Parts: sequence; C-alpha cells; structure tokens
Amino acid sequence: MNSLLLRIFLSFWLIIVLIILSAATAGFLYAERARASLQSFEVSDAMLEASESLQTRGRDGLIDWLNSLPSVTASLVFVIDERGRDLLDRRLPPPVELAMRRSGQPDMRRPPPRGPGNLRPARPFAELVSPDGEVFTLIVLPPQSAVGRWVTERSRLSFVVIALLASGGVSYLLARAISGPIRRFRESTVAIAGGDLDTRIDERIEQRRDEIGGLAQDFNRMVRKLQLAWRRQAELTSNVSHELRSPLARLKIALELARRQTGDLPELDRIDVETEKLDVLVGQLLTLSRLDTGQGEPEVVNLSELVAGVHDDVRFEFPDQDIELTQEDGVFVDGFATALRSAVENVLRNAAIHGRKSVRLHLTVDSSSAVIVVSDHGGGVPEDSLKQLFDAFYRVPGQSPGSGLGLAIAARAVAMHGGTITARNDDTGLMVEIRIPISAV
Amino acid sequence: MTETAVPILMIDDDEALAEMLREYLAPERLALDSVTSGEVGIHSLKSGDHRLLILDIMLPGTSGLDVLKQLRSFSDIPTIMLTAKGDDVDRILGLELGADDYLSKPFNPRELLARIKALLRRSPGGGTAGKRLQVGELAFDVSAQRVTAGDAVLRLTGTEFALLQCLARSAGSIVSKDELSQTALGRRHMPYDRSIDTHVSNVRGKLADAGVTNPQIQSRRGLGYALLVDDSA
Repeated sequence: MNSLLLRIFLSFWLIIVLIILSAATAGFLYAERARASLQSFEVSDAMLEASESLQTRGRDGLIDWLNSLPSVTASLVFVIDERGRDLLDRRLPPPVELAMRRSGQPDMRRPPPRGPGNLRPARPFAELVSPDGEVFTLIVLPPQSAVGRWVTERSRLSFVVIALLASGGVSYLLARAISGPIRRFRESTVAIAGGDLDTRIDERIEQRRDEIGGLAQDFNRMVRKLQLAWRRQAELTSNVSHELRSPLARLKIALELARRQTGDLPELDRIDVETEKLDVLVGQLLTLSRLDTGQGEPEVVNLSELVAGVHDDVRFEFPDQDIELTQEDGVFVDGFATALRSAVENVLRNAAIHGRKSVRLHLTVDSSSAVIVVSDHGGGVPEDSLKQLFDAFYRVPGQSPGSGLGLAIAARAVAMHGGTITARNDDTGLMVEIRIPISAV
Repeated sequence: MTETAVPILMIDDDEALAEMLREYLAPERLALDSVTSGEVGIHSLKSGDHRLLILDIMLPGTSGLDVLKQLRSFSDIPTIMLTAKGDDVDRILGLELGADDYLSKPFNPRELLARIKALLRRSPGGGTAGKRLQVGELAFDVSAQRVTAGDAVLRLTGTEFALLQCLARSAGSIVSKDELSQTALGRRHMPYDRSIDTHVSNVRGKLADAGVTNPQIQSRRGLGYALLVDDSA
C-alpha cells in the first residue's frame, strides 16, 4: 500500500467516522431531551386534560390542547374525529391507520346493544365524547418504535462495527480509484525514463471521462510525440551515416588513384589514416543508431558461445596481448545476439587497447544475471572519469586512442537488455562489469 | 590489352564510384562494366559474358540480396558483395545466399583488387589438373569442380567447392580457418570475419540435404574445422 493510498483512505475514513459520531451524538442528545419530556408526560393525565378541554370548549378546545403539547410528545399524540382524520390534519403513521381501519369508525348512531344503556363495547383506543355527542379517538403512540429499541439496545456494538466496515470499504475503494491510476502513471514514467518508449497508459484509464482520463490521453500523446522524435533522430543518424559512406568510398579510390600517379607520399598516408578513422566512426554511429531503432523480437542467445567467439576475434586482432578467458558453459539470456556481441566486443577491445599485455575476460552466472567481467592491467582511469566512461565521445584525459563510441555502444546494448554496465578501478587497472538478466530457459 | 581483359560486372547505384573503380582496375587487365539497378544487372548476367560480379547489397529498388537469390538460380558466377560496416545480418544473409566473399563499404580498392584476383584464380581453369578424390560417400572431380554423393551431384558454389575440397585433402585432421580462407577465398582470415563459418555452415546444409552422413564436418572452436570420415561404415 503506497502512502498516497493510505493517506486518502485514512482521511476519508476519518471524515466518515467523524460524521457518524457527530450524527450519533446529536441523535443521542435529541433522544435524551425527548425522554425527559416523555417522562413528565403521563398518558392518563393527557386523557384527563383532553377530556377536560373537550368538555369545556368542544372541538376547538381539543385542538388548542394538542397545539399546546411540547413538540416531542405532540408527535406521539393523535386525536381522530369521526371521519377518521387527525384534528391537526397530520398524516397518520401507518400502524395507527391500520388499527383504525381494523376497529372501524366509532358510530354513535348505531343502536346500543341490548343490555344496560351505559355499556359500550371494548375498543382498542380511548374515546372521548364531546358535549354535542361527537366521538373522538385518542391515540398515544408508545414513545419508541420497535426498530429504534432494537438498534439502541441489542446491537449497538454490531451497528458500530458495520458502520466502520462499510465506511472503511467505501473509503478504500475511493482512495484506490485515485491512487491506482497514479501508480500506473508512475510505472509508465519509470519505463519511459528507462528507454521503453512503447509504454502507454492503459486504454481503460484513457477512456475515463474524468480528469484522470484526460491526463492519460495527454500523457500518451506526449509519449507518442517523444517516440516519433526519438525515431526521427535515430533515422537521421542512420541516414547521415549511410550518406557519408558514398563519399568516403570514392575518397578511398581517389586516394589509390593518386598514389598510383605520384607514388607514396606521407601526406597521402595521412589522408589514408584519417579516412580510416572517419570510416570507423561512421560505422559506430550506424551501430549506435541501429541499437536505438530497435532490433525486432528477442531470441535465446547462448552467451557462453558468444563470449568465446568474441574472445577468439579479439585475440586474433591483438596477437601480442595475453587475453585469458574463464567462463561457465551453457549461459543463456533472452536478447539480441548482434547487440550483445558488440557490447562484449567493445569492452574487450577497449581493455586490449589499454590493457598493457594482460586482460582477463570472465563469464559467470549468479541468481538473476549473467555476469561478464573484463579487467585489464592498464592502471585504470581517474575516479571522476568513471561515470562518463560510457558517454558517447567521452575521452579519458591523457588517453588518446579510440573514437569514444565503443563503450557508449556497449552501454546502449546492455541497457536494451535491461542490464547494467559499471566500471571501477581495481589494483591493476580498469574493471568493467556487465550484468544481463538471465532468461528462464 | 583490352582483348585479354577479364570482364567484371558491378551492380552499384553510385555511378561515380564505378567510374573511378573502372579507372583503377583497368591497368590490372580487369574490364569493369557497371549498371545501377538490380533488374538490369540480372539481365546482363544472363548473357554469361562476365567472369565475376561485384554486388552492392544496399541497392535502391530490388535489393542486392534479391539479386543474389535470383542470380544463384541460374549462375554460379563468383560474387563479391559490398555491405555496410556493422551490418552483420546482411553479410551473413548474403553469404548464406551464395555470395563468395564480402567487403564492407567504404572499402580499400587494393583489398578489392586482391579479392577479385583470388576469386578469379580459384575459378574453373585455374585449379590443378583432373584428379579424382574419394572421401566417404563423396567423390570429387577436381577438373570439373564437381562433387557427387552416390548419383546425386552436390550444387556448390566455387567457394564452397574449394572449401570442401581443402577439408577433404586433409580429411581426419583439423584445418585452420586461416588455411581455409587462403584456399577458398585467396586471402588471410580476418578478425570478426564470419565468412568461413558461414560457408562451412552452407556446405553442411547441402550435405545434409543430399543425405550425406559420412563424412561429417566438425568444428573445433578456436582451431578450425575437420572433415571426419567413418571408415567402419
């Protein structure tokens, strides 16, 4: 759970709990007041009061009495006339209405049953008879409904638990709805910073109609533009390199034609050397731009064979160098053989150029990565140069050879495999370590 | 002079380059014709007038690889392809499609001249006189540049034939890549050069296609290749 999710969740929950608490407190205070006034309200007293009001002032007296009751008790007292309507024209609560319908309307014109004239059949509610013979039914509701009692008495604890759980659940969902997309944005940003420009925000988030959906659309649009610009730049580098090739090729032939006419001049040799440098540089630029434009689908690469092959080649190119290989067999990674080969080759060639006779190449595996270590006896580089070693065209002060692109190519190739390349000085010289995540084969 | 010059075809869209190369090769008694498109090139090759082809892989329109594919369906003409430096994929594909050798562009014309001469020297007529050689199931007819396995004739390019023949002469022992390169391509083996490996792989494929199981080509990493014969069979 990240901190934003936690913060939003807790804030919302706290607010909801506070609202529940204050509502409960207000309800409790109200109920207390109602109880106090109900305690002083005696049903028999009320009947006597009502009877007296009716006796002295008739129907109007009864209405005045009802109006004079405190509001809490007034809501519990109903006086219903012969037409079945409350004197104050209030809606009857459903249970009262039901009871009234069941017992029927009091009817004084109905002939009294046989027997003594002062006998009346039992009725569920008290009845009042006005001096002019009108009959009113007086109903006093019990002060608390059954539901209210259930809530307050039996399961106050479970009510609190349910309220907390429900509010907690709602708060969590709300918090996640906000922080989830933000986490997704973060993952995408990290992926893009790591060079994966194919990353997009999910369509599900993009299709939201709220601000987060808008942000996702803008974000994706931005990445698309970034990717386009990146691709154009890589294409430009590639095209420029290709176009530089043709004049270079002509230059080389022109040089040989000139040699044939004038013989070997030191100036011509110089032109030859510089042309060769330019040629190497163009080749490296092309390799670099190819790494940037992608290589298609990765495949399983036998790193042991690849490293051995590079070792052969570099030993062949530098016959005077003592280049020693120690390696584990059967190391496989998912990746691009060409790119991996240029990575190992460039690091090893660099070591062979600067290594003063002895270079070691070591391939091994740990729990998660294939590890290639190249160490030389060249005395290393200044500490503050270590970081820039993998930048294009960076040159260690005081060292001349190389175009400055070899290690940049290695770094780019390693990065596209999700690996790392690091350099440090050890006792004898520079030590470069390449780590490539191992495939699950 | 011109009558004895060897006709060579170049397919490259850079006309200026071809023009300069023609000037460079002329004193070596090599007559360079040049065309700028693959289609025209295929057409000229069908006449069979040329003894060697220089093919730029990076052609506009019909790519050099397509030209090579079409070409190999009707001709075994020795072919040097020009590839972009660093473009290993094109290079390997080209060699697999039957190119004999490659140079990365921009190339040194002296290097090109050396390779042209090496390939021409090796092509029919330049070889040692008619000797027959039997290794396992394979029968070599050196003068006809032909290898047969039983009744089947193996269809090999000049380079592939030279390579297999070189291995066959030293059957049972390891031949270094450098020696193979000298014999089959007429030049030293170079670092980062996969030509010999690719050619060997092609020959292996063709032997397998013909159902040949004896002899077999074995690779010895860092040393070279050996043709192993199972005499007990």
